Amino acid sequence: MKTLIKLEENPNINMVGKIYEFIDPTKVYIPILTNLTFRKNDYIYKNNYYSNYISSISGYVSGSKKIYLNNKYIDSLEITNDFKENSHIKRRKKKITNREELIENLKRFYLFDLINKLDSNKSNLIISCVDEEEYTINEFMRLSNNYDEILMTIDFLSKILKIKNITLAIKNTNAKSIKNVKSIIGSFPNIKIVLLPDNYLIGLKTNLCEFLNLKEEDSLLFTTNEIYDLYTTSIKFKDITEKYLTISGDALAKSFLINVKLGTSLNEIIKKYCKIKDKEYDIFLNGYLSGIKVLKKEDIIITKEINTIVINKKNTNCETECINCGACYKICPKDINPKRCFFNKTINSKCIGCGLCNYICPANIDLKRVVKGDMYEEKEN
Amino acid sequence: MKKKKTSYLVWENIILLIPLIIYGIFKNGYLIYEKGYINFYQIFKPLYLVLIGIIIKFIIDLIKDHKIKIDYNLVYIILIGMIMPYNINLIIYSVSLLILYIITLFLEKYLKFNKVCFIYLIIILINFIFNEFTFQNILESRFTYSFTFFDLLVGRSIGSISTTSIFFSLLSFSYLTFSYYYKKDIPLFINITYLFLSFIYLIITKDNSYLLNSEVLFASIFIAPLPKYSPLRRINQIIYGISIGILTFIGAVLFNSIISIYLVIFIISLLPNIKLKKKLSNKMSS
Repeated sequence: MKTLIKLEENPNINMVGKIYEFIDPTKVYIPILTNLTFRKNDYIYKNNYYSNYISSISGYVSGSKKIYLNNKYIDSLEITNDFKENSHIKRRKKKITNREELIENLKRFYLFDLINKLDSNKSNLIISCVDEEEYTINEFMRLSNNYDEILMTIDFLSKILKIKNITLAIKNTNAKSIKNVKSIIGSFPNIKIVLLPDNYLIGLKTNLCEFLNLKEEDSLLFTTNEIYDLYTTSIKFKDITEKYLTISGDALAKSFLINVKLGTSLNEIIKKYCKIKDKEYDIFLNGYLSGIKVLKKEDIIITKEINTIVINKKNTNCETECINCGACYKICPKDINPKRCFFNKTINSKCIGCGLCNYICPANIDLKRVVKGDMYEEKEN
Repeated sequence: MKKKKTSYLVWENIILLIPLIIYGIFKNGYLIYEKGYINFYQIFKPLYLVLIGIIIKFIIDLIKDHKIKIDYNLVYIILIGMIMPYNINLIIYSVSLLILYIITLFLEKYLKFNKVCFIYLIIILINFIFNEFTFQNILESRFTYSFTFFDLLVGRSIGSISTTSIFFSLLSFSYLTFSYYYKKDIPLFINITYLFLSFIYLIITKDNSYLLNSEVLFASIFIAPLPKYSPLRRINQIIYGISIGILTFIGAVLFNSIISIYLVIFIISLLPNIKLKKKLSNKMSS
C-alpha cells in the first residue's frame, strides 16, 4: 500500500452539524433510459420505477428535459409535485431468512449494486463509515443518527450471510459516531470497531483490507448508507425515495448535509438552501478531488450515485509549465504516470479518478481529466 | 499534506541557496579583503555573479513574455552563478551567460539536457581560454594549506565560488528531504556511491583527497535532482544517482574533481534524447 496522505484542510469551509430536510420539491425528474411514452398531465404515482429510477413523489407529467447523468446527456421526465405522496404499490412484509430471499427482495428495489456484492460467499464483512472526500459527512452523519438501525442491520446481514468476522471501520475523527456506536455495541458482541486514520483513500477496499489485515477477495465491503438502504428495503420493506447529500465548499456561507428526494433538481436545492458568497464559483459533483466539474447546474438531478455537491470559489490559479517533479506519479495509488498520459493524450483505464495527481501538482495542471478521459467526453458533448 | 505551487518551490530553493552564497562572500571575499588582496567592492563577487544572472533572466522574461516570471529558470541561473570559479571574468561571464541563456531557450525545445551544466561547461571553457585554469582563490593560490576535517566541513576547501560549505549543503539537504517534491534518492545514491568508491580508493592508494568533495555534494543536492532533468520513477532515480556517482569518481580521478560531476550530469541528461529520437523515428516510419 502506498503511504496515504492527509489532505490539507480548507479553513474557509464552515461545516454545520445540522441536517436540513428538503422533501417537498416542486418538481422532480426521472431519467428515461428506455422507450417509454408519456403524455402531458399523465399521473405518476410515488414509488413507481421507470427503468431503474424511482418516482420519489406523486404528481403530473409537466414536460421533459435533457439531464446530465453518468457523463452523458439523457432525456428525463419532469413531474410536478401534487404533495399527496400517492402510492399504489404494496410491498411484501415477510421476514427475510436467507440470502436468496434477500437478493430477490433487493431486485424489487432495483438495488443491483448491493445484489452484486451479495452474490458470492465471503468470510469477512467490513462496514465502512468513511467519507472519502474532505468535507463530506454522508457516512458519518448516517452512522451518528441511525446507529441503532445500522448495527441491527449488520447483525441481520451477518446472520443471513453466515459471516462471523464483522468489522465496523470508523475514522478516528468521527467522535460523535464512535460515541453513539460504543453506547450500544455491547448488544452486538460479534461486531468489532476499528478506528481508521484520517487519510485520503483509506476507505478504498484495497487500502481498507490492507489496513485491517484482511484478504480483499475474501471480504465484503458495505458503506453505512448501503447498510441503511438494506435496512429500509429488507427490514422495513420501504422504498428508497430520499438520500443524504452533503453540500459544501468555500464559496458557501455554510456547508451542510441535506436530506433530499431522489430526482430533485440541483438548481432548486441551490436556490433554496445555498447562500453563495462569491459571484464566480465552480460546482463539482461527488467531491472536489474525485468528482467532476458541472458545466451547467440546471442539467443536474440528484440520483443515488450523487453524494456530494462542492461549490468552490472559481480557481484563479492558472496552469503553468510542467516542472517534471514527479509528485503526480509518486502519489498515484494505481502507479500511473499521469504526466506521460497528459503529454501523450492517452487515457489510462486503471485510473480510479481519486484526483490526487491534480491535488499535488505544483503547476496546477488538470491531469485527472486527461488520465480519466473526462476531457474527451466533454469534447464529444 | 500541503500542496505547494511551482513558485513556492522556486523560492524554497533560492532561500536554501542564500547561506551558501553568504559563505561564498565570506570565504572568497571577506577573508581575501582582510589580507588586503582585493578592494571592498570585490568582496561581493559571488553576489555579483548571481545578480548578473537574475538581471539577464528578468530582461529576457520581459522581452519574451512582457512580465517577470518566478520559475525554475531563476533557480538555474542562480546556480550557474554559484558554481563559477573564483577567477571568472565578470564581463566574459555576463556576455557568455546572456548568449548561452538565449541559445538554450531555443535548444531546449528540441533537445532535453541539463541547462545548468551545459551553460557552466561552456562558460568555464571560455573563461579558461582567457584566464589560468584554476579553481583556487587568491589566498589558496599564494599559500599552502593543510585542510583539517573541520575546515572541509565548514567549506574552507578549494571549489567553486559559492559551493564549498558542506555544512550548509547538508543542512539544505536535510530540509529538502521532507519535501514531497524533492527527489531525495538522487543525492543519496550519488553520495553513497561516490563515498564508497573514494573509500576503496583511500584503502588502495592511501589518498584521502577525494573523500570530502564539496562540489559533488553541492551538485548532487541542487543540480542533479533538478526536476526537469531528472527521472521520475524511483528505480530510475537510483540508477541515475549510482551512475553519476561512479562516473563522477572516475572523472575526478582521471580529469578534474570539480568539473567532473557537472560534465557527468550533463552527459547523462542527454541520454533520454536517444529514446525520444527512437520514438520520433518510429512514429515517422509508421
